[in-house]
Amino acid sequence: MALQDYRAMMERCSNCACCKFIPFDKVKSLRFAENCPSIGYYNFMTYSARGRFQLSQSLLDGRAELDETITNAIHSCTSCGYCDIGCKITRYNLEPLEHNLEQKAYAVENGKILEGQKPLIENLKKEHSMIPGTKKENRTDWAKDLGLKDVFKEKADVCFFAGCKYSYDPKLQKVAQNAVKLLQNAGVVVGYLGAADNCCAGRAHQMGFFADFKDRANANIKAFETAGVTTIVTPCSDCYHAFKRQYPKLGSNVKVLHIVEYIDQLIQEGKIKFTKTVPMTVTYHDPCHLGRLGEPYVPWNGKEKKIFNQIQIWEPRRPRYNGIYGIYDAPRNILKAIPGVKLVEMERIREYSWCCGAGAACNESNPAFSQWTANERITEAKATGADALVTACPWCKDNFVNAVDENGNKMEVLDIIDLVQQAI
Amino acid sequence: MESMKQNLVDIVGAANVIDNPEVLASYAKDESFATPMTPWFVVKVENAEQVQNLVKWARKTKTPLVPVSSGAPRFRGDTVPSVPQAVIVDLSGMKKILSINRQQRMCVVEPGVTYGELQEALAKEGMTLSTCLRPRANKSVITSCLEVEPRLNCLHQFNYVEPLRCTEVTFGDGIQMFTGEAGGGPQDLKKQWEQGKWQVHPGGPGTTDMVKMVTQAQGSMGIVTWASLKCELLPTIRKSFLVPAKKSTDLEDFIYKVIWGRIGDRLFAMNKAYLAYLMGDTVDEINELKAVLPNWVAPISLSGDILLPEMKVKAQEQDLKEYAKQTGVHLLPEVPGVSADDVIERASTPSGEKYWKLTYKGGWQDIFFVTTLDKTPQFIEAMYELAIEAGYPSEDIGIYIQPQHMGTSVHLEFSLPYNPDNAREVKVVKELYETASRRMSHLGAYFARPYDIWSTLQLNKSGQYYTLLRKVKEIFDPDNIMNPGKLTIK
Amino acid sequence: MAFPREVYKALEDIVGKENISENIGVCETYRCVPSQSSAHYGPTKNWTPRPQAVILPKTAEEVQNIVKVCNKYGVEFKASTTFWSTMGYIGGDYALQIDMRRMKSIKIDAKNMCAIVEPFAIAATVQAEAMKVGLNLNIPGVGCSSSTLANFSTWVAFGPNSISMGYGNENVLGMEWVLPTGEILRTGSLASDDGWFCGEGPGPSLRGLFRGSFGAAGSAGVCTKIAVRLHPWPGPADFPTYGLAPAYKADFGPRIKCYTLCFPDWKSWARSIQYFYESDIAYSGHRQFNMFGRNLKGAMIEIISNHERQLSDLEELLNDPYIKEQTEKMRHDYQVIIAGFSDADLEYKEKAIDYILEQTGGWKSEMMLQKDKHDYALLYLTRLGHKNLNYVYCGAYEGVLGLTGNVWRAIEVADEAIALKRKWELEHTSIAASGGDSAMGCLSGLGGGGTTGWEFFTNFDSYEQDSVDGTCAFVETTQALMNKYGFGPDFCRWNSDVRKMNGYNYTQEEQNEMFKKAAQPWVFIYQYKIRELINPKNLCGSYVRTLDPKVLEEQQQ
Repeated sequence: MALQDYRAMMERCSNCACCKFIPFDKVKSLRFAENCPSIGYYNFMTYSARGRFQLSQSLLDGRAELDETITNAIHSCTSCGYCDIGCKITRYNLEPLEHNLEQKAYAVENGKILEGQKPLIENLKKEHSMIPGTKKENRTDWAKDLGLKDVFKEKADVCFFAGCKYSYDPKLQKVAQNAVKLLQNAGVVVGYLGAADNCCAGRAHQMGFFADFKDRANANIKAFETAGVTTIVTPCSDCYHAFKRQYPKLGSNVKVLHIVEYIDQLIQEGKIKFTKTVPMTVTYHDPCHLGRLGEPYVPWNGKEKKIFNQIQIWEPRRPRYNGIYGIYDAPRNILKAIPGVKLVEMERIREYSWCCGAGAACNESNPAFSQWTANERITEAKATGADALVTACPWCKDNFVNAVDENGNKMEVLDIIDLVQQAI
Repeated sequence: MESMKQNLVDIVGAANVIDNPEVLASYAKDESFATPMTPWFVVKVENAEQVQNLVKWARKTKTPLVPVSSGAPRFRGDTVPSVPQAVIVDLSGMKKILSINRQQRMCVVEPGVTYGELQEALAKEGMTLSTCLRPRANKSVITSCLEVEPRLNCLHQFNYVEPLRCTEVTFGDGIQMFTGEAGGGPQDLKKQWEQGKWQVHPGGPGTTDMVKMVTQAQGSMGIVTWASLKCELLPTIRKSFLVPAKKSTDLEDFIYKVIWGRIGDRLFAMNKAYLAYLMGDTVDEINELKAVLPNWVAPISLSGDILLPEMKVKAQEQDLKEYAKQTGVHLLPEVPGVSADDVIERASTPSGEKYWKLTYKGGWQDIFFVTTLDKTPQFIEAMYELAIEAGYPSEDIGIYIQPQHMGTSVHLEFSLPYNPDNAREVKVVKELYETASRRMSHLGAYFARPYDIWSTLQLNKSGQYYTLLRKVKEIFDPDNIMNPGKLTIK
Repeated sequence: MAFPREVYKALEDIVGKENISENIGVCETYRCVPSQSSAHYGPTKNWTPRPQAVILPKTAEEVQNIVKVCNKYGVEFKASTTFWSTMGYIGGDYALQIDMRRMKSIKIDAKNMCAIVEPFAIAATVQAEAMKVGLNLNIPGVGCSSSTLANFSTWVAFGPNSISMGYGNENVLGMEWVLPTGEILRTGSLASDDGWFCGEGPGPSLRGLFRGSFGAAGSAGVCTKIAVRLHPWPGPADFPTYGLAPAYKADFGPRIKCYTLCFPDWKSWARSIQYFYESDIAYSGHRQFNMFGRNLKGAMIEIISNHERQLSDLEELLNDPYIKEQTEKMRHDYQVIIAGFSDADLEYKEKAIDYILEQTGGWKSEMMLQKDKHDYALLYLTRLGHKNLNYVYCGAYEGVLGLTGNVWRAIEVADEAIALKRKWELEHTSIAASGGDSAMGCLSGLGGGGTTGWEFFTNFDSYEQDSVDGTCAFVETTQALMNKYGFGPDFCRWNSDVRKMNGYNYTQEEQNEMFKKAAQPWVFIYQYKIRELINPKNLCGSYVRTLDPKVLEEQQQ
């Protein structure tokens, strides 16, 4: 779709504020009621989903231009998808996230991007990785000596896909390694794509670089098909969303599991047993792309229809993607299963979780905004009294590690795999 | 002066223009310490048209008008002219109850209607009007409401000026209009009633709350010639209690709890002196009561009307007992000297011919203001300190705490009875009234109804407000004819 | 035309670079499209004018300085918080939009039951903070996403729990205003710094200048802080919600119940309401779900309370025999919440409701007694967090008719109003055919009962010009009905005389023409004089209705 195809939606947005706050039924305090990092940081209406709907109208009608301020506004959105969830509490015919992404694509197509985005895309094209400075040839260094099966040559139960962050970040490679070992110790034959292991390009999609995303995705899908991959397991939430929700639109049939789903399953099957106690109170951060954006793709080819004169419905029924079928329980089951761990919840959780700030590569293109977003989350996590913040996404973890609360204090941040490892 | 008189006669008729010196003298002063000032005429009005004509005339001739609707004794100084050559506009003869509507629980009355008259008429329709504490027999209901005298039932005081709703008012510029919902329709009550409009909503009309220009205004903005009032249903069953205490602070938690729990339709607190003044019919009775009553008493009453009244009262009684237990107080049907039923009955009904406040010593000075319940102890402590310094007998100080506006604030009242024929007592009370008013103001007392010296105290603290108030008065009373000198606006 | 540099610089110096913008694209997002939100006029697709700049102050002092700059340079300004309704937007070509988003503090005095709030403290957050200490507040029908301060100080603010708590005007205590001249006025006990607890006086209450039956909608300056009355909440400190989006539900325990009461006809319906007026039974009372239209409401309740359902299921559900039956039984209905402060209190209130039903021939809706429906409705009506369902059908809605006031009078006209809407639905396609009776509103617009506030929900497509225009034409017919029965302006026309269809302010001459014909024009004259006093340069738009006294004098000569 093109931006103008969203015109009806733009004009049917009623400026109700649902896109800026957590579901109102869930509000427990003033401090943690808001849920759009973009308007939270910048404050101007322009930065909310409603503002974006209105901005699009002005752009299309020629009343506004893609100048530097507007380009910045368009790209200062982590594509966390909360606005979509908030809107869908009461509306059945608007798709704010889709529109926001389309607005970004519109800017990209017109050459309006942020300086900080350029190296990511260039590296994607050249090195098949969205982390600037990293090289293709080093991508699977982390997997050496793990005994992973090359899926092009050998059979494996699952194809493990680490993702760029786990693959290249020296602080995180150990986590990926531990994840593999967990599976292997549980009797799973773990494979990988070897030389064909390339960036999922999900973040390119989040940034509006649709063409670059499609190029990479199509190449990856072809690799999956060639290798006969049927199931991918990934510890990265961004990759999870890309494979599960975006790739099927391009024809992928691969089953996708996040590592937490798999571990949860293995715990229930008794294949992972905890032998140590980890006495710790933790709170869990739901990564956007595992939680509300972790719902599976449902093919749909329909159109709008009006009944009773003006009531707009979709024919046939359109998948809602309102976040309720995201992955929330699996990580919580894991935490509850670890002896000694006590889970306390933040106010903004599950489908209305606050974003970590790293989405759409804002950590690279807009670090101040990204860091503020992460700081907000640390403040919220600390308010629970927890010892540590646990998450299931390397981008989230990385953004939180250097974040501070409103008093300038850091918090211990753990990958859920780390915590599982401590208990075994 | 003769032409002045003739002008007045032309407006209201000869029988209604009074310049008898004795009558004039009765309006020249009241029971307060306000400086006496003899008016030049008392004019009795019979309808709104006369009022409007009077105002227009007063503008032309720059004659001050002082509206009065209640009979004597008066206490606040607001009906004593502050400037010479004033004309008293006596509305007490306008005694029509223009409508009573049971379905809408509304009535419309003229200024001369008293509580007793209205309650009797309403009772025939199964209704009653929320009342202030034992008003005097000749107290105008409208004046009582305009001056926002505190009501006994704070839980039905949704609007601060309840039960006042709409009015017909002639402002000092001569414009006569209806306020509230009534101001948005034809300027004719009967026509409004035909349209099914009963002057229910007090707000507006539009974006200005016109009725707020005449409330707490001491007649300095305009003259009201009818008011619509919200009525309550007459209870068919009532059960009352007294909660005794040694100190007022012992009642605080209980009162807060009862307010939170929305229980009862009468709730207030008094020290023994005040309760004795309320209940005693003679000096001896008052002294006997003072000797036996608990230091403090909070009367509370439960009522039921048309909707399962017995069950309601039973349920509320059960909850009340629980609240009493939680807050360490006792609910009693009586305390030495008085029964709960009698206290509630007395508080809720108008005084007899002789106003109850004057029984003890013949004279009485109030100091009252608005605050919150938790702040009352500091004011009480200060009052006793000042009384000792002034040589006023502490045991005579009456204290009345009336929760208002659904409990968000309280009316706190100190009452100082004195013998007006005893020069020493007069001097002591006058000085105490002045020093205590200043001290209370300094401690944060809010004189929402700024009578007499309180207007200087309060408005001096509210400089910006006062500045705007003066300018607003210029809009509604451009020639400053409406009771000039009140609210420190000279 | 951008502001001259010295104006922009002066404003920038007040709030800092990052809190002001004159970027055209940014300013474009501060224009209102009335058909896209509830405007109480039109509807129209005409955008309000673009402000020259948008500014976000953090304190009352910053607001004051901003207003002073505006005064100095003759710049129109308007403050808004959530920007939901057209009222908060500027209406001229040389104007500054003040966005109050950065001012959102809440402070609660639990003992004396009041909250002191800044503009962007939306009702949901005020309620959440209040409930922590056993208190609640009047959330008006516009929903909890609206600003408590804006509602109470500058608009109407009646809603489901007004019957037990009072409406906006009744709940206002001390207020802090920046007048259009740039002076700060504090009202009530706040004027002398004695506290926030009393909103009246001293003496005559000047707060009456800013807020009557409704407020000045930003045309009398900027309210920067307000104390509002809170009320008892015997429920849990935070909502024990369950269920999946969007069908969140909550069980508040055995003492808080929500019933949908149904009646055989309008007379018994009104009689039952009168019982609620005369008692202290109802915690909340609202005819809520009828906003979906009498014909569709049963099916819609099923859709919104079931996470597996969506709007596309509407036709299927309408054929469900059970839903058909239940919908028919809810023909004359409304929802009421009772909150027991104790078991005995609850028992009394339950019996009282049974008594009311017995006296009026009413019954409780069986469908709404099912736990999932009950818990959904209870949460819905307590938090009022689904206001946007007003727009669920088509993206736009307006309230029409507006049978506010005497409920007995309203029911006399109800059937004719219903027939009018139904006829229009069937003969035209511009509005959703939800059923002639789509009247929704609060049981009482005043504390303790006495006036009702109904509007007929009229849903239309804000994208389709024909739908917008057709709805406008429909409102002409509903206004005719209102005129016939003396009900005054149609709900959708409330703001027609304060903002023009092209989005601009009215001039004084235009206002004079309109208001000189009023039955009692005096209040407009006073409002003119008051505006001359506090807003001599007339910088805040035309939402205060004014009449130049000279015009009336000439008319009378």
